[in-house]
Amino acid sequence: MQNQNAVLIEPMEDSLSPLELRARAGYYQLLAGAFAEEPGCDYLAALRAPEAMAALVDLGFQFDADFTGVPLDELQDTLACEYATLFTTSGGCPPVESSRLTGRFQQEPFHDVKAIYQHCGFALQPGKFAVFEDQLGVELSFVAALLENQAAALESGDMATVKRLEKEVKRFWATHLGRWVRGYATLLARATEHSFYREIARLLRDFAEAELALLKVRVDDVDGGREVVPKSEIEVLFNPDEPVCGGCEHGKTQNGAYA
Amino acid sequence: MLNFKITRRAFLQASAATTAAAAASPKLLRAMETELGGKDFNPVGYSERKAIPITCHVCNIQDGALAYVENGRIVKLEGNPEHVSTRGRLCAKGNSGMWYSYDPDRILYPLKRVGARGEGKWKRITWDEALTEIAQKLDAALKQDPNSIMLKYGRNRSGGVVDRFMNTLGSATVMNHTSVCESSKKVGMEPTWGPDIETPDFANAKYILNFGSNIMEAAYFHNPYSQRLADGMADNKAKLVTFDVRLSNTAGRSDEWIPVFPGTDGAVALALGHVILRDDLQDSDFIETWTNVTVAELKEHYQQFTPEWAEKLSGVPAATIERIAREFATTKPATTYTYRGPAKHLYGSYNEKATMMLPIMTGNIEVRGGYCMPRGMGWPQPQPEPPKPAKPSWIADHPDYPLAHHKVSHLTPFWIAEGKQKINVYFSYQDNAVYTNPGSDAVWGKLYRDEKLIPFYVCMTPFMGEEATLADIILPDCPYLERWEPESMPNSLWPWLGIRQPVIKSLGESRENRIMMRDIIHKLDPDGKRGMKKYWDFKDGEDYMRHHFDNVPGLKEAGGLNFLKKHGVWPIYGKLDPATGKIVDKTGREIQPEYGLHKKELSAADMTGAVVEKNGAIMKNGKAVGVQRKGKNYAGFPTHDRIINVRVDEWAEYGFNPMPTFKQIPWHRTMRDDEMILTTYKINVHKQSRTSAVKWLAEIMHSNPVWLNTETGKKLGIKTGDLVRVESAVGYLVTKAYVFEGIHPKVAAISTAFGHWAYGRLAQLKLKTEKGGAWGAQDDPDLNNVWWEDKGVHPNQIIPVVADPIGGSQGWYDTVVKVTKAGPNDKYGDVKASWEKHVEAFKETMRYAYTGDLHRKMHPEMASWGGPGSVKHKEGGGH
Repeated sequence: MQNQNAVLIEPMEDSLSPLELRARAGYYQLLAGAFAEEPGCDYLAALRAPEAMAALVDLGFQFDADFTGVPLDELQDTLACEYATLFTTSGGCPPVESSRLTGRFQQEPFHDVKAIYQHCGFALQPGKFAVFEDQLGVELSFVAALLENQAAALESGDMATVKRLEKEVKRFWATHLGRWVRGYATLLARATEHSFYREIARLLRDFAEAELALLKVRVDDVDGGREVVPKSEIEVLFNPDEPVCGGCEHGKTQNGAYA
Repeated sequence: MLNFKITRRAFLQASAATTAAAAASPKLLRAMETELGGKDFNPVGYSERKAIPITCHVCNIQDGALAYVENGRIVKLEGNPEHVSTRGRLCAKGNSGMWYSYDPDRILYPLKRVGARGEGKWKRITWDEALTEIAQKLDAALKQDPNSIMLKYGRNRSGGVVDRFMNTLGSATVMNHTSVCESSKKVGMEPTWGPDIETPDFANAKYILNFGSNIMEAAYFHNPYSQRLADGMADNKAKLVTFDVRLSNTAGRSDEWIPVFPGTDGAVALALGHVILRDDLQDSDFIETWTNVTVAELKEHYQQFTPEWAEKLSGVPAATIERIAREFATTKPATTYTYRGPAKHLYGSYNEKATMMLPIMTGNIEVRGGYCMPRGMGWPQPQPEPPKPAKPSWIADHPDYPLAHHKVSHLTPFWIAEGKQKINVYFSYQDNAVYTNPGSDAVWGKLYRDEKLIPFYVCMTPFMGEEATLADIILPDCPYLERWEPESMPNSLWPWLGIRQPVIKSLGESRENRIMMRDIIHKLDPDGKRGMKKYWDFKDGEDYMRHHFDNVPGLKEAGGLNFLKKHGVWPIYGKLDPATGKIVDKTGREIQPEYGLHKKELSAADMTGAVVEKNGAIMKNGKAVGVQRKGKNYAGFPTHDRIINVRVDEWAEYGFNPMPTFKQIPWHRTMRDDEMILTTYKINVHKQSRTSAVKWLAEIMHSNPVWLNTETGKKLGIKTGDLVRVESAVGYLVTKAYVFEGIHPKVAAISTAFGHWAYGRLAQLKLKTEKGGAWGAQDDPDLNNVWWEDKGVHPNQIIPVVADPIGGSQGWYDTVVKVTKAGPNDKYGDVKASWEKHVEAFKETMRYAYTGDLHRKMHPEMASWGGPGSVKHKEGGGH
């Protein structure tokens, strides 16, 4: 099924510096922290630190008072409930690739990413809760780890490893993350009732777009959660209802002839 | 290159001449599709998939199945060709079972309620946190009264684990679901001949009378029985006659469908018996030898049940009764079959008894093609076992229903509300009483929401059913493809043992029942000082199974659990013949069951130390072990005196008629012209409550309009598709009508399985209305094709409780309703019911208990009975 979707991978113009690679890895890990399990106090405290908040505001992410203005313990408790509502109880939207793309847990994406982790020398270790290999937090952590390794390889001048890891990251975006996280992020932003997950979802979507552009991977997001924009709201330079050419009878009779 | 010149004529002539040679040449290829399962291949790479034998558990038939696993994923389910009962076939439900494991709405972690009950606010907690909190509550409850710990189970196939758990805690407050299932069938049969069910030999019968069972579609043992019924009708030219209020798929495939007025099957059966005895068509030898009545007694007793009397009650013409009676009695072999149809009424036990009298009086018991006893197998329990609780539980052993040995679980909320028993901790295991019981949310929802009545509720389930939404803690149970369980079901005439084994590792942090309960006990008694831990000393589910199976005689020699892991079932009686679909022996002949179990002669060893009493009962160690008849020592029937008790003396002790009888439901007698009786039913692709979230099944059927007869529709001005209001004494619902000929004019029928208000996005069609519920599902476009907008309407809220004073069954088919065109403010799916009105219904049904004021009025023939004060309440037996 995956082959049916358009995927285009072009070579990147420049390899990044170790600093940039680690910065990207940091974003992956930041996002992973919101999904892998209920956000912990340390994670939330770090995110609410003035410099972190300011940086996120600069990037255009604005958390509401429900995130910034409540005691940390209360916030953690509230977000644990929101996490359960969104991700672990019935009727929610579990951040799990199999669930998003096949409608069921533990399907092809699960087995595929598990094999990829193994191939790259990783295995899922038990956290506070057991999670699927294709859970978003795990997938993001995986890319973070690859980028860390890539940075280390770059520092040690191991260019073959750098190239190999770069390809792994691109391939993982093309075959997994790129196929669902943007659509999923738009769904999550709509579904959540808390500004933390709303902004994290926006960050996820924007970061995914940026990563795909940086990596020069073009892949259709096929998650059903992607926003469907009504035709009336689409600003286009041509009439979307008009036929592509005026050659057919339908076009001539319904809309007149267009050259 | 060959220069092969030939005319068409010569070609054909040569072909004819060489046919024999062609036939004799070796055939090295065969079409795989001619095989009846057992193997499966990847359609792209053609690699063989791993087949793991299991016992299906989508419903409760316990079909033998194979799960095909490819790369760790269950890709297909089909029948196990080695299974003697189901012979390689699996129904639509069984084929869809993997949806349970992979359901995106499945609960994978312990959840703790954080808002008000039912508010839908949860927090994920660790197992340790969950177990600690549960152990604390149990500890407090144990200090007060062990019986304040209650467990109610629904589909429990744990093989004794649930009882072990409650016995360990010392609580007798264990409630099952049998009274909403078929308890009055069981109680109608048990005192008469021992077993709680019959095994009809449909395949070899010549005549079959079916009272209200939908064998071909959804009845108990649907899969194996529908196969045997088809064998009997096709190969043996058996005649099938179905009495039913509804043209079910079985009625539709019967030689005759005879609509009856609800609840009157018993009257018809008695009238059939009247004709048989009047015309001297009975098997006198069988009656005199194997029952506790004489032919003369029976003839006299049945004189009152004339066909004309039954016609007035049932609407079945007397001439039809006369004809069917003669056909049944003179066509040998013959059998009857019943399930919920006759039994789910106020006096369902009487109805069941009346129907089983037909094969008894015609001597069709334990004969080829007749009405046979069930064949099952048992297994030992791991040792040591906890002792039974010291004190009986008031609600589990209710004094007003002393004969209802399968309990009266559907009255539980009222008894708890009345304060009859204090509950501190309430467990439910696979039991969605809020959906499945009479009164539904108006009764069970009310109970579960009330923290004074249920201070702490732990729900063990894999899914967020209606009951789970009201829990304090949800423990994630495993669906059936991920757990170990022992199995045996009398679903054919060959006894078998089977297993359910995990096909994949359990998902998330779900744990199977025995592990979950073990962990609770270990948390409660970590050092064993309470004396509980020793009963839960096993490593895992497989280890527990070894205790069950490694020492069963015969199976032990075959390999014990290892044999079952490989084959799924034991013994293997033969091979499935792909040409006939039947199990054959080495010679190619269909295997035959053993008949005449009651005539098995006791050995000299059996007789050592035995005493033969005057009535022939062979007594040993204070217990009847057989019966002497015509100078021979037989095993007889598993009753207290080893013969069939047509007269059940125990019933008379409580003022019930000990002989076969019929009681018309009083409120049916006084029905007005514009009133009807509401009946519910089950369809072939769903079970009662747990399949609406299965896409493949939900797509086939997802709504349940109320069936009305054409004549009724005309009278009420209602046609198919009209919105109608169905109103009972306790509430009303608004649904659509389906008007056609296939239903009794005085009956309105609504199927179960639909109209969920919980159970996940598909059952509720939540994915269409809620922003978080949408599937991604691009890789399975079919999931985006949830084209239906109708999830149906659940009828149980408007069905009041009725309890059979003998068997304890819910009278599912006794509700009087009025059907009218919906009003301007009625909306499809509206359901309103009142707790107060349900309480009135509860009080009313208690009046029929042997302690109630209506009991004597309903039994004028028992005028000499001394009243409730004349009997002493006995300890409930339970089965």
